[in-house]
Amino acid sequence: MVSINYATREVSCKVVYYGPGLSGKTTNLQYVHHKVPPETKGKLISLATDADRTLYFDFLPINIGAINGFAAKFQLYTVPGQVYYNATRKLVLRGTDGIVFVADSQPDKMDENIESLNNLKENLAEYGYKLEEMPFVIQYNKQDLPGVLSQEEMHKALNTGQWPEFCASATAGFGVFDTLKCILKLVLDKARSSGAGKVQARPEAQPPQTAPGPATPTKQRTPQPERIYAPPPRPRQPEAAPVFEPVGTSGQPMPSVHRDEAEAVPSARPPLSLPPMERQQVYRPFPGNTTEDEERMNNMSQQGTGKVKMPGPMISPGHLGNTRKSDIPVSPQMAPSLKVDAAKKKRSLFKRLFGLR
Amino acid sequence: MSDDSLILYEEEIERIDSLLTKLLKGAEAKCALLVDKDGHLITRQGFTHSLDTTALAALLAGSFASTKEIARLVGEMEFSVLFHQGKKDHIHMSIVGERSILAVIFDDRTTIGMVRLYAKETADELAKIFAHLAGRPLREQKVTADFAASAGDKLDDIFKD
Repeated sequence: MVSINYATREVSCKVVYYGPGLSGKTTNLQYVHHKVPPETKGKLISLATDADRTLYFDFLPINIGAINGFAAKFQLYTVPGQVYYNATRKLVLRGTDGIVFVADSQPDKMDENIESLNNLKENLAEYGYKLEEMPFVIQYNKQDLPGVLSQEEMHKALNTGQWPEFCASATAGFGVFDTLKCILKLVLDKARSSGAGKVQARPEAQPPQTAPGPATPTKQRTPQPERIYAPPPRPRQPEAAPVFEPVGTSGQPMPSVHRDEAEAVPSARPPLSLPPMERQQVYRPFPGNTTEDEERMNNMSQQGTGKVKMPGPMISPGHLGNTRKSDIPVSPQMAPSLKVDAAKKKRSLFKRLFGLR
Repeated sequence: MSDDSLILYEEEIERIDSLLTKLLKGAEAKCALLVDKDGHLITRQGFTHSLDTTALAALLAGSFASTKEIARLVGEMEFSVLFHQGKKDHIHMSIVGERSILAVIFDDRTTIGMVRLYAKETADELAKIFAHLAGRPLREQKVTADFAASAGDKLDDIFKD
Protein backbone atom coordinates (compact mmCIF):
# COMPACT_ATOMS: atom_id res chain seq x y z
CA MET A 1 0.00 0.00 0.00
CA VAL A 2 1.58 3.25 -1.10
CA SER A 3 1.71 5.85 1.64
CA ILE A 4 1.66 9.50 0.51
CA ASN A 5 2.34 12.15 3.12
CA TYR A 6 1.77 15.72 1.96
CA ALA A 7 3.15 17.22 5.16
CA THR A 8 6.57 15.65 4.85
CA ARG A 9 6.33 15.37 1.05
CA GLU A 10 7.10 11.67 1.05
CA VAL A 11 5.89 8.73 -0.95
CA SER A 12 6.62 5.40 0.68
CA CYS A 13 6.37 2.00 -1.00
CA LYS A 14 7.00 -1.53 0.19
CA VAL A 15 8.79 -4.18 -1.86
CA VAL A 16 9.13 -7.79 -0.69
CA TYR A 17 11.78 -10.28 -1.80
CA TYR A 18 10.12 -13.69 -1.83
CA GLY A 19 11.44 -17.14 -2.65
CA PRO A 20 12.49 -20.51 -1.29
CA GLY A 21 14.98 -20.90 1.53
CA LEU A 22 18.64 -20.16 0.72
CA SER A 23 17.77 -18.74 -2.69
CA GLY A 24 19.60 -15.47 -1.92
CA LYS A 25 16.96 -12.98 -0.82
CA THR A 26 18.97 -11.66 2.11
CA THR A 27 22.13 -11.66 0.00
CA ASN A 28 20.32 -9.45 -2.52
CA LEU A 29 19.60 -6.92 0.21
CA GLN A 30 23.12 -7.15 1.55
CA TYR A 31 24.53 -6.41 -1.89
CA VAL A 32 22.22 -3.42 -2.30
CA HIS A 33 23.13 -2.19 1.15
CA HIS A 34 26.81 -2.60 0.40
CA LYS A 35 26.76 -0.84 -2.95
CA VAL A 36 24.36 2.09 -2.77
CA PRO A 37 25.57 5.52 -1.63
CA PRO A 38 25.39 6.03 2.14
CA GLU A 39 22.98 8.94 1.93
CA THR A 40 20.54 6.72 0.06
CA LYS A 41 20.26 3.85 2.43
CA GLY A 42 19.21 3.26 5.99
CA LYS A 43 20.34 0.57 8.33
CA LEU A 44 19.96 -3.04 7.22
CA ILE A 45 18.05 -4.84 9.91
CA SER A 46 18.03 -8.63 9.98
CA LEU A 47 15.80 -10.56 12.30
CA ALA A 48 17.70 -13.78 11.91
CA THR A 49 18.59 -16.89 13.85
CA ASP A 50 22.04 -17.57 15.26
CA ALA A 51 22.82 -19.47 12.06
CA ASP A 52 22.05 -16.32 10.02
CA ARG A 53 18.83 -17.73 8.63
CA THR A 54 16.06 -15.16 8.33
CA LEU A 55 13.59 -15.69 11.16
CA TYR A 56 11.09 -12.92 10.53
CA PHE A 57 12.35 -10.47 7.92
CA ASP A 58 15.26 -8.36 6.74
CA PHE A 59 14.54 -4.69 6.28
CA LEU A 60 16.40 -2.10 4.24
CA PRO A 61 15.01 1.40 3.71
CA ILE A 62 16.09 3.18 0.53
CA ASN A 63 15.55 6.87 -0.13
CA ILE A 64 16.21 7.76 -3.75
CA GLY A 65 15.64 11.47 -3.16
CA ALA A 66 13.14 13.95 -4.46
CA ILE A 67 11.08 13.17 -7.52
CA ASN A 68 8.52 15.76 -8.55
CA GLY A 69 9.05 17.39 -5.17
CA PHE A 70 8.29 14.25 -3.20
CA ALA A 71 10.94 12.13 -1.51
CA ALA A 72 10.55 8.59 -2.83
CA LYS A 73 11.21 6.05 -0.11
CA PHE A 74 11.24 2.31 -0.54
CA GLN A 75 11.16 -0.30 2.15
CA LEU A 76 12.79 -3.52 1.01
CA TYR A 77 11.80 -6.62 2.96
CA THR A 78 12.73 -10.25 2.68
CA VAL A 79 10.74 -13.17 4.01
CA PRO A 80 11.96 -16.34 5.70
CA GLY A 81 12.12 -18.96 2.98
CA GLN A 82 11.67 -22.19 4.90
CA VAL A 83 8.34 -23.88 4.41
CA TYR A 84 7.47 -23.94 8.11
CA TYR A 85 7.76 -20.17 8.46
CA ASN A 86 4.70 -19.51 6.38
CA ALA A 87 2.87 -17.62 9.14
CA THR A 88 5.58 -14.98 9.40
CA ARG A 89 6.07 -14.96 5.63
CA LYS A 90 2.44 -14.06 5.21
CA LEU A 91 2.70 -11.23 7.74
CA VAL A 92 5.53 -9.59 5.81
CA LEU A 93 3.48 -9.65 2.62
CA ARG A 94 0.82 -7.44 4.13
CA GLY A 95 0.43 -4.18 2.26
CA THR A 96 3.20 -4.87 -0.24
CA ASP A 97 3.41 -2.79 -3.40
CA GLY A 98 5.69 -5.05 -5.38
CA ILE A 99 7.35 -8.46 -5.20
CA VAL A 100 10.68 -9.83 -6.39
CA PHE A 101 10.71 -13.60 -6.61
CA VAL A 102 14.25 -14.87 -6.10
CA ALA A 103 14.50 -18.33 -7.62
CA ASP A 104 17.39 -20.72 -7.09
CA SER A 105 18.79 -21.76 -10.49
CA GLN A 106 20.20 -25.08 -9.28
CA PRO A 107 18.39 -28.03 -10.88
CA ASP A 108 17.60 -29.78 -7.60
CA LYS A 109 15.95 -26.63 -6.24
CA MET A 110 13.33 -26.33 -8.94
CA ASP A 111 10.64 -28.09 -6.90
CA GLU A 112 11.21 -25.66 -4.06
CA ASN A 113 10.95 -22.73 -6.48
CA ILE A 114 7.62 -23.95 -7.80
CA GLU A 115 6.31 -24.68 -4.31
CA SER A 116 7.35 -21.22 -3.12
CA LEU A 117 5.71 -19.53 -6.11
CA ASN A 118 2.46 -21.37 -5.43
CA ASN A 119 2.73 -20.46 -1.77
CA LEU A 120 3.13 -16.81 -2.77
CA LYS A 121 -0.07 -16.93 -4.79
CA GLU A 122 -1.94 -18.52 -1.88
CA ASN A 123 -0.68 -15.98 0.63
CA LEU A 124 -1.52 -13.08 -1.67
CA ALA A 125 -4.99 -14.49 -2.18
CA GLU A 126 -5.55 -14.45 1.57
CA TYR A 127 -5.01 -10.68 1.53
CA GLY A 128 -7.23 -10.33 -1.52
CA TYR A 129 -4.34 -9.53 -3.86
CA LYS A 130 -3.70 -11.12 -7.23
CA LEU A 131 -0.23 -11.77 -8.52
CA GLU A 132 -1.35 -10.74 -12.01
CA GLU A 133 -2.20 -7.25 -10.73
CA MET A 134 0.93 -6.86 -8.64
CA PRO A 135 4.25 -5.43 -9.87
CA PHE A 136 6.25 -8.64 -10.04
CA VAL A 137 9.76 -9.52 -11.20
CA ILE A 138 11.52 -12.89 -11.23
CA GLN A 139 15.21 -13.20 -10.58
CA TYR A 140 17.06 -16.39 -11.51
CA ASN A 141 19.76 -16.28 -8.89
CA LYS A 142 23.05 -18.17 -8.49
CA GLN A 143 23.75 -18.10 -12.22
CA ASP A 144 27.46 -18.01 -11.45
CA LEU A 145 27.38 -21.56 -10.11
CA PRO A 146 28.33 -24.45 -12.37
CA GLY A 147 25.64 -26.74 -13.71
CA VAL A 148 22.73 -24.38 -13.11
CA LEU A 149 19.66 -24.24 -15.34
CA SER A 150 19.69 -21.76 -18.19
CA GLN A 151 17.38 -18.77 -18.40
CA GLU A 152 15.24 -20.59 -20.97
CA GLU A 153 14.79 -23.59 -18.71
CA MET A 154 13.99 -21.42 -15.70
CA HIS A 155 11.55 -19.36 -17.75
CA LYS A 156 9.74 -22.43 -18.96
CA ALA A 157 9.32 -23.78 -15.45
CA LEU A 158 8.48 -20.60 -13.54
CA ASN A 159 7.56 -17.62 -15.66
CA THR A 160 3.98 -18.53 -16.49
CA GLY A 161 2.87 -14.90 -16.40
CA GLN A 162 5.44 -13.46 -18.80
CA TRP A 163 6.82 -11.33 -15.99
CA PRO A 164 10.08 -9.41 -16.36
CA GLU A 165 12.97 -11.73 -15.53
CA PHE A 166 16.65 -11.35 -14.77
CA CYS A 167 19.59 -13.67 -14.44
CA ALA A 168 21.64 -12.76 -11.43
CA SER A 169 24.21 -13.69 -8.87
CA ALA A 170 23.68 -11.94 -5.58
CA THR A 171 27.16 -12.88 -4.39
CA ALA A 172 28.93 -11.76 -7.56
CA GLY A 173 26.58 -8.81 -7.86
CA PHE A 174 25.37 -8.99 -11.44
CA GLY A 175 21.66 -8.67 -12.06
CA VAL A 176 20.85 -7.45 -8.54
CA PHE A 177 20.48 -3.79 -9.41
CA ASP A 178 18.73 -4.58 -12.70
CA THR A 179 16.12 -6.51 -10.76
CA LEU A 180 15.74 -3.77 -8.19
CA LYS A 181 15.48 -0.98 -10.74
CA CYS A 182 12.85 -2.90 -12.67
CA ILE A 183 10.63 -3.55 -9.65
CA LEU A 184 10.97 0.04 -8.39
CA LYS A 185 9.94 1.41 -11.76
CA LEU A 186 6.98 -0.96 -11.90
CA VAL A 187 5.95 0.05 -8.37
CA LEU A 188 6.19 3.75 -9.14
CA ASP A 189 4.29 3.20 -12.33
CA LYS A 190 1.58 1.44 -10.40
CA ALA A 191 1.57 4.12 -7.69
CA ARG A 192 0.16 6.61 -10.12
CA SER A 193 -3.09 4.70 -10.15
CA SER A 194 -3.42 5.01 -6.38
CA GLY A 195 -2.04 8.48 -5.79
CA ALA A 196 -3.15 10.42 -8.79
CA GLY A 197 -5.10 7.84 -10.67
CA LYS A 198 -8.32 9.20 -9.31
CA VAL A 199 -7.63 12.49 -10.98
CA GLN A 200 -5.78 11.35 -14.04
CA ALA A 201 -6.97 9.05 -16.70
CA ARG A 202 -5.24 5.73 -16.34
CA PRO A 203 -2.64 5.54 -19.05
CA GLU A 204 -2.31 2.67 -21.38
CA ALA A 205 -0.64 -0.35 -19.90
CA GLN A 206 3.06 0.17 -19.94
CA PRO A 207 5.16 -2.46 -21.59
CA PRO A 208 7.29 -4.34 -19.12
CA GLN A 209 10.71 -2.92 -18.52
CA THR A 210 12.21 -5.94 -20.12
CA ALA A 211 10.49 -7.62 -22.95
CA PRO A 212 9.38 -10.94 -21.59
CA GLY A 213 10.07 -14.07 -23.43
CA PRO A 214 12.31 -17.02 -23.29
CA ALA A 215 15.06 -15.50 -25.34
CA THR A 216 15.32 -12.10 -23.71
CA PRO A 217 18.48 -12.09 -21.75
CA THR A 218 18.09 -8.71 -20.12
CA LYS A 219 21.42 -9.17 -18.53
CA GLN A 220 23.54 -11.48 -20.53
CA ARG A 221 25.04 -14.16 -18.42
CA THR A 222 28.72 -13.64 -18.48
CA PRO A 223 30.79 -16.76 -18.30
CA GLN A 224 32.11 -16.99 -14.78
CA PRO A 225 34.97 -19.08 -13.56
CA GLU A 226 34.00 -21.97 -11.39
CA ARG A 227 33.67 -20.87 -7.82
CA ILE A 228 32.27 -22.04 -4.58
CA TYR A 229 29.05 -20.41 -3.56
CA ALA A 230 29.58 -18.82 -0.22
CA PRO A 231 27.53 -15.95 1.19
CA PRO A 232 29.60 -12.97 2.21
CA PRO A 233 29.76 -12.01 5.86
CA ARG A 234 26.87 -9.84 6.92
CA PRO A 235 27.94 -6.23 6.99
CA ARG A 236 27.45 -4.47 10.26
CA GLN A 237 26.71 -0.78 10.35
CA PRO A 238 28.39 1.19 13.07
CA GLU A 239 25.99 2.70 15.54
CA ALA A 240 25.25 6.29 14.77
CA ALA A 241 26.02 8.86 17.36
CA PRO A 242 22.67 10.04 18.62
CA VAL A 243 22.00 13.70 18.53
CA PHE A 244 19.33 14.58 20.95
CA GLU A 245 17.18 17.51 20.20
CA PRO A 246 13.45 17.96 19.98
CA VAL A 247 12.21 17.81 16.44
CA GLY A 248 8.73 17.32 15.15
CA THR A 249 7.84 15.74 11.86
CA SER A 250 7.49 19.07 10.19
CA GLY A 251 10.90 20.13 11.40
CA GLN A 252 9.39 22.55 13.88
CA PRO A 253 10.63 22.59 17.44
CA MET A 254 8.40 21.19 20.13
CA PRO A 255 5.83 23.71 21.21
CA SER A 256 6.12 25.21 24.62
CA VAL A 257 4.73 22.98 27.28
CA HIS A 258 3.20 25.90 29.13
CA ARG A 259 0.88 27.10 26.46
CA ASP A 260 -2.83 26.67 26.75
CA GLU A 261 -4.45 23.38 25.99
CA ALA A 262 -6.77 25.11 23.60
CA GLU A 263 -3.78 26.30 21.70
CA ALA A 264 -2.43 22.80 21.34
CA VAL A 265 -5.38 21.75 19.22
CA PRO A 266 -5.78 24.19 16.41
CA SER A 267 -9.23 24.83 15.14
CA ALA A 268 -10.28 23.57 11.77
CA ARG A 269 -8.30 25.23 9.06
CA PRO A 270 -9.49 26.04 5.62
CA PRO A 271 -8.35 23.42 3.17
CA LEU A 272 -5.00 24.25 1.69
CA SER A 273 -4.56 24.39 -2.01
CA LEU A 274 -1.33 22.59 -2.50
CA PRO A 275 0.68 23.49 -5.56
CA PRO A 276 2.53 20.72 -7.34
CA MET A 277 5.45 21.44 -5.02
CA GLU A 278 7.40 24.56 -5.70
CA ARG A 279 8.90 24.91 -2.28
CA GLN A 280 12.20 23.54 -1.12
CA GLN A 281 12.99 20.03 -2.09
CA VAL A 282 12.70 17.76 0.86
CA TYR A 283 15.48 15.31 1.24
CA ARG A 284 15.61 13.52 4.54
CA PRO A 285 18.65 11.36 5.05
CA PHE A 286 18.32 8.50 7.42
CA PRO A 287 19.44 8.95 10.99
CA GLY A 288 23.03 7.92 11.29
CA ASN A 289 23.82 8.84 7.71
CA THR A 290 23.95 12.57 7.99
CA THR A 291 27.09 14.23 6.83
CA GLU A 292 27.29 15.89 10.22
CA ASP A 293 27.50 12.54 11.89
CA GLU A 294 30.09 11.31 9.44
CA GLU A 295 32.20 14.40 9.92
CA ARG A 296 31.97 14.07 13.65
CA MET A 297 32.92 10.42 13.52
CA ASN A 298 35.89 11.23 11.28
CA ASN A 299 37.03 13.99 13.62
CA MET A 300 36.82 11.67 16.55
CA SER A 301 38.87 8.99 14.88
CA GLN A 302 41.43 11.52 13.68
CA GLN A 303 41.86 12.77 17.19
CA GLY A 304 42.63 9.25 18.17
CA THR A 305 40.12 9.10 20.93
CA GLY A 306 38.43 6.10 19.45
CA LYS A 307 35.30 6.99 21.35
CA VAL A 308 32.30 8.79 20.09
CA LYS A 309 31.42 11.63 22.36
CA MET A 310 27.73 12.10 22.51
CA PRO A 311 26.98 15.75 22.01
CA GLY A 312 23.54 15.72 23.46
CA PRO A 313 22.39 14.96 26.93
CA MET A 314 20.09 12.05 27.64
CA ILE A 315 22.43 9.31 26.60
CA SER A 316 21.72 6.12 28.35
CA PRO A 317 23.81 2.95 28.10
CA GLY A 318 20.77 1.28 26.64
CA HIS A 319 21.16 3.30 23.48
CA LEU A 320 24.62 1.97 22.84
CA GLY A 321 24.20 -1.75 22.75
CA ASN A 322 27.23 -3.49 24.15
CA THR A 323 29.20 -0.40 25.02
CA ARG A 324 30.52 -0.51 28.53
CA LYS A 325 29.15 1.98 31.00
CA SER A 326 32.58 3.36 31.74
CA ASP A 327 33.02 4.24 28.05
CA ILE A 328 30.05 6.49 27.95
CA PRO A 329 30.49 10.10 28.83
CA VAL A 330 27.09 10.38 30.42
CA SER A 331 26.01 13.87 31.08
CA PRO A 332 24.03 14.34 34.25
CA GLN A 333 21.79 16.74 32.43
CA MET A 334 18.49 15.20 31.44
CA ALA A 335 16.40 15.95 28.44
CA PRO A 336 14.08 18.90 28.70
CA SER A 337 11.19 17.69 30.73
CA LEU A 338 7.63 18.35 29.88
CA LYS A 339 6.87 19.49 33.38
CA VAL A 340 3.61 21.12 34.19
CA ASP A 341 2.33 22.40 37.43
CA ALA A 342 1.97 19.31 39.57
CA ALA A 343 -1.04 20.45 41.54
CA LYS A 344 -2.90 21.56 38.45
CA LYS A 345 -2.14 18.30 36.76
CA LYS A 346 -3.28 16.27 39.74
CA ARG A 347 -6.55 18.17 39.88
CA SER A 348 -7.04 17.61 36.19
CA LEU A 349 -6.37 13.90 36.55
CA PHE A 350 -8.76 13.52 39.48
CA LYS A 351 -11.40 15.40 37.55
CA ARG A 352 -10.91 13.11 34.63
CA LEU A 353 -10.97 9.93 36.69
CA PHE A 354 -13.67 10.70 39.23
CA GLY A 355 -15.55 13.65 37.83
CA LEU A 356 -14.56 15.78 40.87
CA ARG A 357 -14.68 19.53 40.65
CA MET B 1 -1.32 -3.94 -4.93
CA SER B 2 -4.08 -2.84 -2.65
CA ASP B 3 -5.95 0.27 -3.70
CA ASP B 4 -6.45 1.57 -0.18
CA SER B 5 -3.39 3.79 -0.24
CA LEU B 6 -2.88 5.97 2.78
CA ILE B 7 -2.91 9.58 1.62
CA LEU B 8 -2.61 12.30 4.24
CA TYR B 9 -2.75 16.04 3.59
CA GLU B 10 -0.89 18.69 5.53
CA GLU B 11 -3.72 19.86 7.74
CA GLU B 12 -4.55 16.28 8.65
CA ILE B 13 -0.98 15.62 9.71
CA GLU B 14 -1.00 18.87 11.67
CA ARG B 15 -4.14 17.80 13.47
CA ILE B 16 -2.61 14.40 14.27
CA ASP B 17 0.62 16.05 15.41
CA SER B 18 -1.25 18.35 17.76
CA LEU B 19 -2.98 15.34 19.33
CA LEU B 20 0.36 13.59 19.79
CA THR B 21 1.85 16.73 21.34
CA LYS B 22 -1.07 16.91 23.73
CA LEU B 23 -0.49 13.26 24.61
CA LEU B 24 3.21 13.86 25.29
CA LYS B 25 2.42 16.88 27.40
CA GLY B 26 -0.22 15.11 29.44
CA ALA B 27 1.58 11.82 29.92
CA GLU B 28 5.05 13.37 30.15
CA ALA B 29 6.35 10.83 27.68
CA LYS B 30 9.46 11.20 25.53
CA CYS B 31 8.07 10.66 22.09
CA ALA B 32 5.13 9.27 20.19
CA LEU B 33 5.03 7.60 16.80
CA LEU B 34 2.04 6.86 14.66
CA VAL B 35 2.76 3.88 12.44
CA ASP B 36 0.81 2.22 9.69
CA LYS B 37 0.26 -1.51 10.18
CA ASP B 38 2.22 -2.08 6.96
CA GLY B 39 5.29 -0.55 8.58
CA HIS B 40 5.17 2.99 7.17
CA LEU B 41 5.80 5.82 9.61
CA ILE B 42 2.88 8.25 9.45
CA THR B 43 4.12 10.92 11.82
CA ARG B 44 6.10 11.38 15.01
CA GLN B 45 6.39 13.91 17.79
CA GLY B 46 8.76 14.46 20.67
CA PHE B 47 12.42 13.62 21.02
CA THR B 48 12.84 11.32 18.07
CA HIS B 49 15.95 12.75 16.48
CA SER B 50 18.22 10.12 17.96
CA LEU B 51 15.93 7.33 16.86
CA ASP B 52 15.93 5.55 13.53
CA THR B 53 12.20 6.00 13.23
CA THR B 54 11.98 4.32 9.83
CA ALA B 55 13.36 1.07 11.18
CA LEU B 56 11.46 1.50 14.40
CA ALA B 57 8.19 1.82 12.50
CA ALA B 58 8.87 -1.35 10.53
CA LEU B 59 9.79 -3.29 13.65
CA LEU B 60 6.84 -2.01 15.67
CA ALA B 61 4.48 -3.01 12.88
CA GLY B 62 6.17 -6.41 12.67
CA SER B 63 5.88 -6.85 16.41
CA PHE B 64 2.21 -6.01 16.32
CA ALA B 65 1.57 -8.30 13.38
CA SER B 66 3.20 -11.26 15.10
CA THR B 67 1.30 -10.53 18.31
CA LYS B 68 -1.92 -10.55 16.36
CA GLU B 69 -1.16 -14.07 15.20
CA ILE B 70 -0.44 -15.07 18.79
CA ALA B 71 -3.80 -13.61 19.80
CA ARG B 72 -5.55 -15.63 17.16
CA LEU B 73 -3.92 -18.80 18.42
CA VAL B 74 -5.33 -18.21 21.88
CA GLY B 75 -8.76 -17.32 20.55
CA GLU B 76 -8.55 -13.52 20.54
CA MET B 77 -9.02 -11.33 17.50
CA GLU B 78 -6.03 -9.20 18.45
CA PHE B 79 -4.37 -7.68 21.48
CA SER B 80 -5.19 -4.00 21.41
CA VAL B 81 -2.39 -2.91 23.74
CA LEU B 82 1.25 -4.00 23.89
CA PHE B 83 3.75 -2.91 26.48
CA HIS B 84 7.50 -3.44 26.43
CA GLN B 85 9.31 -2.70 29.66
CA GLY B 86 12.99 -1.85 29.68
CA LYS B 87 15.40 -0.77 32.37
CA LYS B 88 14.93 2.90 31.65
CA ASP B 89 12.72 3.33 28.62
CA HIS B 90 9.46 1.61 27.93
CA ILE B 91 7.16 1.42 24.94
CA HIS B 92 3.40 1.41 25.06
CA MET B 93 1.64 0.46 21.84
CA SER B 94 -2.05 0.61 21.12
CA ILE B 95 -4.18 0.12 18.06
CA VAL B 96 -5.73 3.14 16.40
CA GLY B 97 -8.77 2.32 14.33
CA GLU B 98 -8.29 -0.36 11.72
CA ARG B 99 -4.88 0.26 10.32
CA SER B 100 -2.59 2.24 12.59
CA ILE B 101 -0.54 1.82 15.73
CA LEU B 102 0.24 4.48 18.30
CA ALA B 103 3.57 3.90 20.03
CA VAL B 104 4.57 6.00 23.04
CA ILE B 105 8.11 5.83 24.40
CA PHE B 106 8.50 6.97 27.97
CA ASP B 107 10.81 6.63 30.93
CA ASP B 108 10.52 6.59 34.69
CA ARG B 109 9.53 10.22 34.91
CA THR B 110 5.98 9.09 34.32
CA THR B 111 3.97 5.93 34.90
CA ILE B 112 2.42 3.31 32.69
CA GLY B 113 -0.99 4.30 34.06
CA MET B 114 -0.64 7.89 32.92
CA VAL B 115 0.60 6.84 29.52
CA ARG B 116 -2.17 4.33 29.13
CA LEU B 117 -4.82 6.86 30.12
CA TYR B 118 -3.66 9.52 27.69
CA ALA B 119 -2.85 7.04 24.94
CA LYS B 120 -6.38 5.68 25.04
CA GLU B 121 -7.87 9.16 24.78
CA THR B 122 -5.55 10.04 21.92
CA ALA B 123 -6.20 6.76 20.12
CA ASP B 124 -9.93 7.42 20.26
CA GLU B 125 -9.44 10.89 18.80
CA LEU B 126 -7.10 9.57 16.11
CA ALA B 127 -9.55 6.82 15.23
CA LYS B 128 -12.16 9.49 14.45
CA ILE B 129 -9.70 11.24 12.14
CA PHE B 130 -8.86 8.00 10.34
CA ALA B 131 -12.55 7.17 10.00
CA HIS B 132 -12.98 10.55 8.34
CA LEU B 133 -10.02 9.89 6.02
CA ALA B 134 -11.61 6.74 4.71
CA GLY B 135 -14.61 8.59 3.35
CA ARG B 136 -13.15 11.84 2.13
CA PRO B 137 -12.59 12.55 -1.56
CA LEU B 138 -9.04 12.88 -2.78
CA ARG B 139 -7.85 16.21 -4.10
CA GLU B 140 -6.76 16.66 -7.64
CA GLN B 141 -3.03 16.53 -7.62
CA LYS B 142 -0.48 14.99 -9.86
CA VAL B 143 1.73 13.58 -7.17
CA THR B 144 2.72 10.28 -8.63
CA ALA B 145 1.56 10.89 -12.18
CA ASP B 146 4.90 10.61 -13.91
CA PHE B 147 6.94 9.25 -11.05
CA ALA B 148 8.29 6.28 -12.95
CA ALA B 149 9.45 8.40 -15.88
CA SER B 150 11.05 10.99 -13.61
CA ALA B 151 12.68 8.37 -11.45
CA GLY B 152 14.32 6.49 -14.35
CA ASP B 153 17.54 8.46 -14.55
CA LYS B 154 17.80 8.75 -10.79
CA LEU B 155 17.48 5.02 -10.33
CA ASP B 156 20.15 4.41 -12.97
CA ASP B 157 22.41 6.85 -11.21
CA ILE B 158 22.00 5.35 -7.73
CA PHE B 159 21.92 1.67 -8.62
CA LYS B 160 25.00 1.18 -10.73
CA ASP B 161 27.44 -1.65 -10.23
